[in-house]
Amino acid sequence: MEKLVKLQIDGTMVEAPAGMNLIDAAELAGIHIPNLCYLKGMKGIGACRLCLIEVEGLKAPVIACNTKVRDGMVIHTKNDKLNEVRKFVIDLILSMHPLDCMTCTKAGGCNLQKYAYEFELKESSFTRKEFGYPTDEANPFIKRDPEYCILCGRCVRVCKEQGTDVLEFMGRGIESKVLTANDRPLQESECTFCGSCVDACPVNALLESDRWRKGREWEYTKINSACLLCGNGCDITVSTKDGRIQKINSGAAAGSAERYLCAYGRFGFDSIEAESRLRVPMKRIDGALKETTWEDTLTIVAEKLRKAGKEAGFISVAGIENEDALILKKIAKNIVKTKNFDTTLSLYGDSESFRNSQKADIDKADLILLVDLNPSQWERALPALDASVRRRVNRGAKLIIINSSDAKIEEVAAVTLKGNITYNLKGITKALTEKGLKADRKIAAAVKDEEITEDIEKAAELISKANEPLIFSSPSMFEASANIALIKGKVISVGLESNVRGVVLMGLTTEGKTYKEMAGMESGKGQGAKSAVKVLYAVGEVPLRTRPEGLEFLIVQNSHLSGLAKQADIVLPSATFLETAGTIVDYMGRLKYLPKIIEPQGESKSHREIFIALAKVMGTKIKLPTEAEVNKAVRIKTKLSFSPFAKKEGFDIAPGEFIESINASVINGSRLLWLKETEKAVAV
Amino acid sequence: MSEETKTEEKGKKLEDIRKEAEEKACPVQKALYFIDEFIAGPMCSKCYPCSLGTGEAKIRLTWISSHHKNVSKRDVQELKRIGLNMIEGSFCKKGRDTGRFLIETLAASEDEFIRHISGFCLQKECISLVEYKIHPGLCVMCGKCLEACTHEAIIGEKRELYLTGYLSFEILQKKCTRCGECIEVCQVGAIERLSAELPELIAK
Repeated sequence: MEKLVKLQIDGTMVEAPAGMNLIDAAELAGIHIPNLCYLKGMKGIGACRLCLIEVEGLKAPVIACNTKVRDGMVIHTKNDKLNEVRKFVIDLILSMHPLDCMTCTKAGGCNLQKYAYEFELKESSFTRKEFGYPTDEANPFIKRDPEYCILCGRCVRVCKEQGTDVLEFMGRGIESKVLTANDRPLQESECTFCGSCVDACPVNALLESDRWRKGREWEYTKINSACLLCGNGCDITVSTKDGRIQKINSGAAAGSAERYLCAYGRFGFDSIEAESRLRVPMKRIDGALKETTWEDTLTIVAEKLRKAGKEAGFISVAGIENEDALILKKIAKNIVKTKNFDTTLSLYGDSESFRNSQKADIDKADLILLVDLNPSQWERALPALDASVRRRVNRGAKLIIINSSDAKIEEVAAVTLKGNITYNLKGITKALTEKGLKADRKIAAAVKDEEITEDIEKAAELISKANEPLIFSSPSMFEASANIALIKGKVISVGLESNVRGVVLMGLTTEGKTYKEMAGMESGKGQGAKSAVKVLYAVGEVPLRTRPEGLEFLIVQNSHLSGLAKQADIVLPSATFLETAGTIVDYMGRLKYLPKIIEPQGESKSHREIFIALAKVMGTKIKLPTEAEVNKAVRIKTKLSFSPFAKKEGFDIAPGEFIESINASVINGSRLLWLKETEKAVAV
Repeated sequence: MSEETKTEEKGKKLEDIRKEAEEKACPVQKALYFIDEFIAGPMCSKCYPCSLGTGEAKIRLTWISSHHKNVSKRDVQELKRIGLNMIEGSFCKKGRDTGRFLIETLAASEDEFIRHISGFCLQKECISLVEYKIHPGLCVMCGKCLEACTHEAIIGEKRELYLTGYLSFEILQKKCTRCGECIEVCQVGAIERLSAELPELIAK
């Protein structure tokens, strides 16, 4: 338990955790201390001076954002003197801010507007300052309009803290400006278009490019959900109006290191209405795919599956929801009676590592180990993990990198151990036992002959001193890494898809042919071999370029007409994760609920609805899985145990490329395509 | 509560600026010089009351010193407000000291500020509020001022022996920039600096 201290704020007694600043503490009591530059989770810089408050016993006011709670403190957040400074500051800012709230997209969500209202400032009493700065709107993601900028620096700090570091202040006083290196447009900077700055901006200086006349804050219905586009499964807040998604923001709690969303998650939702979106079932007639009815397609599919029986196979992405996974297994195992059902997770990991992966909270970790992982915002490989780790480091946590190749994130690491990973893991384990940390006898025996280098010693020292070390490991190194967690800390196996853990917990792991065998993939190479099944049912955007060889019949059930779908015999239109309600277990082990945000396009249905309809045609009634059923599957207890320090082979896949390929339709069907094309153009 | 930020002192120190400012006789020029040098030098530009406040103060002081068309007594009130809030709200001592300098200067010579608003600079340091004139009785028509003026603001003919009908020396106010070069070269002290006769004052 955190230590609580008692203090009095405006006459109200408040209990707040020790170390908390006064703005957050006041919020606990429902008291708002005005602020413009404060960003929850980050150290207060005291630039805006709006949060000045009085502490009894102190001569002069102090800034609440950077003052910690103390037991017995008595503070006053409002009086004439403080309000005069606040009003003065808002007045000054208004003198250099356009007063066009009536058409401003940010109206309703603008902090400056809120305070101008509170301090009764219709317009500034100071001289109007106009700068004529040009707007940067050459990209389809973020509009940057310095005319509205109030120089709070939130965007600069948020971008620096997560490691992208694209924005900087230039100039002095009223002539200050936030700009990119050499004042180039965003796409010519190192910007990854994650939009963290948009979430941080209190005014209309940084906004989604397409927001003009798409509604303002009070017109939106806001729903919290999670993004299923990659292994991070980030929390999102979706704003809808008139039944359509207008924007997506990061949904993680303010102040969490996980408050991040990449360009895919934030801007990929256009793809819901893309031209390539499947809205009606299709079947192949005379070599071409033609639209038809659900009844027609399901009858054909049922017939083909029944005939094939054991020779039928199901492959799916691991980004489907738990409920879909449960029913998919039932269909395959109980109705079609085949043991061949597998997911894409077998391309990059073994299911055991995901089953044994622990639960953790990165915001509590004071030491992070990245084993055999290379998360990168720039490569778009688990970008949220990269951003969260960098934030934790900037907030005081230490980072240890254990990898055989270079990783960009090394630049913020306290210790980097290159070379043979198992060798380094063993070394650390030995150094830990030598420091007197308790270890299983088997572990101690396995590492007794190891050599401890200077860097290994440094890493072990950090682990022994840390309160809550957290190990993120690639699935292949999970067992070896878990040996350290057996001594101290927690360990997470990091998959590349959002619901790998859920899919494993729901039991959707093959009991017959593997994904690779069904897809006709040869180890180390791509496709080329004959598929191990005759009838293949592919669910989701499976990363296959061509129809596996030797197939008699191919069914593709996806939201978009993917490359593979174009080669299918039957195409079933499925709903996207924003159009169905379900649950996932994210990589940190949290069960996340995804509500249905909008209605599915056309006749598309959720995976589970399609499976249930199919089962009905095949003569079996399946019910939708209940919440209890999912919870029971999720709640299985696992215990780590000693395993030899060895790397599991056969999972070498480039994470960035893989994540791109499972999102091909999202990218090609949205403004993300512009990003890909621009990146390509720059690379050439 | 001392929360002194450790920012690098760029160029001049605040104390030096104060000393240099004190050399000015006109309080408006004194305040303007201080603010100008503060913005260009030691200001760290990190907190609003100071970085935006000095920007506004500079505008108001420039208005007062140049008899801008919008100038009014309210400018003096706003300067006071800026000074007081800088003392109260600035993050560091430099900002608070700058606020204090403004307030002290205003308190010591508020009358002079008001006089500027009416168009007079008693100390004749606010160049927009002064006029240069050639005293015809003192002028020896040597022509040195004509040579020195780079703005072609002086007309007149150099006096030559045995010649009559020459044109007397005069300064064209529209062209004069009040740079003061002519005063420097006049050996007989015939060029004077006068409070400007502003049209609206004459009208009154």
